[in-house]
This record gives sequence, C-alpha cells and structure tokens, in this order.
Amino acid sequence: MIIRGGIVYDPSNGIFGEEMDLFIDRGKMVEEARGEEIDASGLLVMPGGVDAHAHIAGKKVNTGRIMRPDDSRLGTEPRNGVCRPSTGYTVPNCYAMGYRYARMGYTTAFEAATPILEARHTHEELQEIPIIDKGALTLFGNNWQVMECVRDKDLSKLAAYVAWGLRSARGYGVKIVNPGGGESWGFGTNVKSVNDPVPNFDVTPAEIIRGLAQANELLHLPHSIHLHFNNLGKPGNYTTAIETLDLLKDIKPSRMRQVVHVAHMQFSAYGGTGWRDFESKAPVIADYFNSHNHATMDMGQLLFGSATTMTADAPLEYGNARLTHNKWSNHDIELEESSGVVPMIYSRKMLVNAVQWAVGLELALLVDDPWKVLMTTDHPNGSPFVNYPEVVTLLMSKPKRDAEMASMHEQLQKRTGLGEIQRELDWADIAIMTRAAPARILGLPDKGHLGPGADADITIYNLKPEELDTSQDHSLVKKAISTAMYTIKGGVVVSKDGKILCTPPGRAFWVDAAVPQADTDRLMPDLQEKFAKYYSIQLSNYAVQDAYLPHANVIRAGLSIEPLQEVA
Amino acid sequence: MRSIVIAPRNVFCISVEAENISPDRFAPLKIEEIKKLIVWQGNRQKILSDLFTVDGEDSPSKAEDMAIRLSGDFSNVKRIGEGMTSGAIEVQGSAGMHAGNHMSGGILSIAGNADDWLAREMLGGRVVVMGDAGNYVGAGYRGEKCGMRGGEIEVRGNAGAYLGEHLCGGSIRVGGNAGDFPGAANQGGTIFIGGSTYLPGAEMSKGTINVRGETKVLPSFQKMEIAQIDGTDYQKYLGDLLENGKGELFVGVAVP
Ligand SMILES: [Zn+2]
Repeated sequence: MIIRGGIVYDPSNGIFGEEMDLFIDRGKMVEEARGEEIDASGLLVMPGGVDAHAHIAGKKVNTGRIMRPDDSRLGTEPRNGVCRPSTGYTVPNCYAMGYRYARMGYTTAFEAATPILEARHTHEELQEIPIIDKGALTLFGNNWQVMECVRDKDLSKLAAYVAWGLRSARGYGVKIVNPGGGESWGFGTNVKSVNDPVPNFDVTPAEIIRGLAQANELLHLPHSIHLHFNNLGKPGNYTTAIETLDLLKDIKPSRMRQVVHVAHMQFSAYGGTGWRDFESKAPVIADYFNSHNHATMDMGQLLFGSATTMTADAPLEYGNARLTHNKWSNHDIELEESSGVVPMIYSRKMLVNAVQWAVGLELALLVDDPWKVLMTTDHPNGSPFVNYPEVVTLLMSKPKRDAEMASMHEQLQKRTGLGEIQRELDWADIAIMTRAAPARILGLPDKGHLGPGADADITIYNLKPEELDTSQDHSLVKKAISTAMYTIKGGVVVSKDGKILCTPPGRAFWVDAAVPQADTDRLMPDLQEKFAKYYSIQLSNYAVQDAYLPHANVIRAGLSIEPLQEVA
Repeated sequence: MRSIVIAPRNVFCISVEAENISPDRFAPLKIEEIKKLIVWQGNRQKILSDLFTVDGEDSPSKAEDMAIRLSGDFSNVKRIGEGMTSGAIEVQGSAGMHAGNHMSGGILSIAGNADDWLAREMLGGRVVVMGDAGNYVGAGYRGEKCGMRGGEIEVRGNAGAYLGEHLCGGSIRVGGNAGDFPGAANQGGTIFIGGSTYLPGAEMSKGTINVRGETKVLPSFQKMEIAQIDGTDYQKYLGDLLENGKGELFVGVAVP
C-alpha cells in the first residue's frame, strides 16, 4: 500500500510536516512498496494514536458498567455491517471501545491498572476489544509479598516476585497506586505521606516506591514504574508529588527512558488547605519537570460532564462517594489491592471542577518538552476518551481556552494562571503527546512512528495543516480529529470517515522477565504459604493461561537477557 | 386539529418499539412519510405501515395541533409518545411499556391499562390512565438518580410497585391502591394514593406522599401531629430519617 502526498508528522524520525509518500508491506512500514494507493494530498498524516493510560478492561470497568445502566443508555448504536452493537459513554462495552478508538485514529491503548488476581478478567475483556493493540499494567503497590521484600531489603527476591507477577498476570509493566494506602484502607485508614508507615508491615510508601523502581530497572523492563501518587485528589497534594519524585532522582534507568511515569498528574497538582482555598500548583510541578529528566507524566485532563471515577485508590473513592452522595463501589482484592468506583458529574459552574480543568491544561502548556507530557483524560476518570479532540483543541487554541474560561466561575482567574498562558501547541507537539511519546514512554519500539520496520498504524485526518489556522478554526480542527478520514492498523484500513470497515483482533503485549532460578526458588515458599493461608484460590489456578491471550506479543526482558546498561 | 388514526394490522406476539408514534415526529410529515417512519419488532427493523394502518389528514401541521388516536390493542407496543413536547395522543385500549417516557408537554391519555415504566423520567405535560398502571410509574430508569421532574400523572385505577421512585418533581395521583415502596427516594415530588399501599417514602429526602387508605410506615419516620387536608384527618410523619430526610408523609386516619 502507498499513501501519497500526505503532510506527515513523525516526530520520532525528525519529520515535522513534510509532504511525503508512505509505503506499507505486510503490516509494516517499508522503504518501497506497491499495491493499493491512498491519495492523502495535503492532508495531515500521523502514526496511529497510542493511549498509555486508560481504564478499558477488567473488573472495575465492569463494576462501572453494572453500577451505571444509565450510562449504557448514552452510547447505544445498533449492530451495523461488521460492527456489533455499542453501548455506553463513560463505560462503553468492549466492542464500542475498539470502534471508537479506531474512528478517532487510535490504534493502541493500555489498560492502566490490573491486580494479578483479576488479570484473567482483564484479558477476557481486552480480547473482546476489536482492532486496537493493547496491554495491561499490573498493580504492585499494596501487595503483601512486595511489602515483605521491601521490609527485608531483599531486592533480588522483589525482582523475582515482580517478574513472577507480570508473568502470572500476563502484564506489561509495574503500576503503583497510592502505595501502602490500599493496604491501610483494609483497616479503615490511609497513609498521609510517603513516610507514613503501613499498618502491620513496617514499611513506608517511600520504601515501596523506591524498591519497586529499583526492581523495575534491575529487570530491564520496557516501561518504567507507573505511579499514582499518595494523597491523590486532595488539596495541597503537590508537595507529596514533589517529595515522591525526589525519591527517585538518583535511580539509573536501565533503558533510554524515564525512571517514573506519573499517572494523571492533574489530580496531584493541587494547592490550598481545603476545598475553599483550593488552587492550582501546576506551575510548581511544571518547573520540576522542566528541571528534571527522570520523570514523565500524562495529563489526566478533566472535562465537564459525565465521568466514572475508578481506581485502586479505595480511600480516595470513599471520599468521592461521601462528597457527592453518589453510588459507590468498594472492593478488597485479597493480598493485593483495594479499589473503588464512583460516578461523577463535573460542572463548569463548580469552582473546584473548573480549577481541576485548568490544572491539566496548565501542566501540558507549562512543561516545555512535549516528550514529557502525554495527552490523556485518565479515561473515564477525567472524561471518556472520545473527548480527546476537545483536549487537543484546547491545547492548540488560546481563543478557545479564553472562551471556555469566560463561562466559568470568576474566581477561576485567581486560582490558576491558565488565562495568562499564551502558548498554543502545534501539530508536532500533538503528534508527540499522542503518538511518539506514549510509545517511547511505554517502551514500544514499533509503535508511535512511521520509520521502516514500524507497525503500519497510520491516521489520516481530513484536515489540511498548511491551510488551517488551528488557533482560530478550532471547531473545524475538533471535527476533523474526532473522526479520522482513514485509520490504518497493521497495514489494513479499519475505519474510513467514521465507518468501521473491518475488525481484526488486536495483539496483547506482555513482558516476560527472566530472573535467576535461585531467586525464584527463594520466593516460592513465601507464595505457597500465602496461598495456603490467605488466598481464596489455589496457587495452581492463579496465573492467566495463554488461552486468554490468543494474539499475544511477548516482550522479553529480565536479568539474564542483557547486562544492566547505564544511560548517560 | 390534525387528526391521525393508527391501528395495528394484527396481534403482536413479539413486542414493537414505536417511539416514532409522537406528535412531534408526525407533525412535519405527510401520511405517506409517516408510514415510512422506523419501528422495530424484536430485532427486526420495519416501517410503521408494515405493522399499522395510518389514516388521517395529509397536510403537515404543528405538533401542538396534532391529535393521534391509537385504535385497537397497543398493549405490546412500547415507547408510545416518547419525548413528546405537545399535542395529544389518545390510546383507546391499553398501552405497552414506557409510554410517555421523557415527555415534556402535551397530553397522553390511555383508556385501558398502562404497562410498566409509564411516563418514566417525565419532564412536563399530563398523562391520564383510566385503568391500572404497572410498576415504576414516573420512576427513573435503571441507574438514574432522577425520575419524573415535572408534569402530572393520574392513574384512576391501581398502580404497581415503586410508584414514582426517585421522583424529583411533578405530581402523581393514584385513585386506587399502589404496590410496595411508592415514593422511594423521593427528592421533591408529590404523590397522592387514594387507596392503600405498603412502606411509602423509603429513603425520601424531600417531597410529599399522601396515603388516604391503610399503609405500613417505616420505623425510620418520625410521628408528628394530626393534619387536616381537604376535610380529612391525616397522621403526619417526617422522614426518611436514615437519609436525614425532610419529606412529609401523610397517612389517612381510619374512621372507627
Ligand atoms: Zn488511571
């Protein structure tokens, strides 16, 4: 296949808006090919979108669906052609997830939080999401075995457990959510700082985070630790964010990437002592990212309207439920995590919500290097992913931001500096924040770019970047990027002008990290004891079988693959 | 008034979804166009004239000047008058589930019985049922926090369970008895029940429920004074205290 004459943005290969032809052969980008031609003359062409943080599969997503039949009514589309029926808006059914990502030009999405114990369910749902490639991050931050290894300062056993956990969950990377807080929640409390001890374990969140970061680098994993901070969502929590990031400054990455990826930074960049003097501390956080190179973030942008909050941060969800008097699901995941789900309506008339809205945008606009900030909404916590075009246009257009702010609380100007920010992102920034950077941050060498050997995942938008003024014509931009003209996945046109043409199954990425047998041998008696004493299932039934990943793509990592490599 | 008569061509064993039977949808259309409106029977898409005869004045009109008469058995036809904003629908027999849901104006009258979910999440207008109504009259559909927000519903016969669940406004009047849990989670609407019922007002925070006949009151209601309404003595209660509720419940004092 040949795509002729597009204006190509491929930041990883230093291509920023050049008119060029693209060649595809057997699902990969190549130097030269023949076959079907697509005329993309003058149109915006990018690699397929990569979503590095969304909640798209697993038990908490399904709990959201069960709790919200009202939501399922919002997005119903009958079966049509190759499409099965769609339902839902904030918590769509599996099919709708695949169709909606593809229509928007996205070809890869990662589920951001799965306990090992519930990974089988996650993979069952991921498999049912058509078209897109996917993977799931595995939760380790409140895990008993992890905390015991950290307490005993046994890094090699911890690495062995992380490798074993990823293998059992068929997981892609190490997710940490409110470390220690989920375990404390089992006793009705929370940890209040990174130095607050976890009940019964004699460890602190700081020790858990550092231990897992060290194990992550020891194992040479493609992705860094992926961290949801303590005190997330609370006024004044920006100090916790900075304190936590400082903990990781001296850790050497084992690959060309960050040491920590911060999930949905927006929810952790707040000042104030309570909701009354709640304000943005995005500039402080942005300064930190501008002056340090070990961390990346995704925005976790909040948009007004319906959302469903879902997280392994169970005490946070308890707070949300009390605050909103809304429905609340609370869940204990044995020796691993806790979690919660609460539906939410964000209102532009509510000052707190308006400040949150501004914080996300401020972060993305104040961090100079777009490679450090991913465009996300923490779907469906800040807003459903179908609203990414709204976020992109807000970042690209100062007039749009001004118009939005004019309709909000007059106090907003005093609580955030968004109104003074002149910066408008361009297509290069957007291509980085939605394609190149998420692929690099996740450690997916064949994603997010269009160089030879890359997966032929391509988006062609019905928009002429050389003619359109993205600042003024933001509504045209939003319309064009909401529905890609062509979405090509693995060299196949899967969506054209919003119509799904075919639904190939996506692949599921997971990481198999090797560790010395001696470390595993030391680990197994611990696990056997835990399963015998505490788990509700047998050790032999625990791991996800390969039958649940019929289109698996295994990435090898680990201690015995290559020696540790220090990055200058 | 532009009057249109719709009648089923046969007895529907598989239920029909006909949200297009509404003054708003019919108003701008000629008869031939009305006949082509989409209806679903089970999982099959059809057009109105596949299942119904359509007769009446041909020239388009405003919705408020529309009078739609449904002649015959519509008890297996769902969503009649969905979202209607004005005009009138007269069902000469019984109506299927979800009749008048989301309506914000106009009149829906049903000579026979109405099935479950009558006028759920109604916003305004008037619904009258001469016979009985099923469960969840004026309620919020599954998962919804607010049911009916405005308008009036009158059921001359009996109503089923969960009458006016999650009511946020408007008024419902039932001539006969109501099933279990009327006015559950009431947040500001008014319910009058002429006959008896069981456990009214559970989790109500605001609004009024008036039960003329016998009922069992939840223990989480506070007994207040005797009040006189329209010449009848009622025992007044406040609740539901479990929700810090300020709702008012009046129960008729039986004449010895
Ligand atoms: Zn998240």
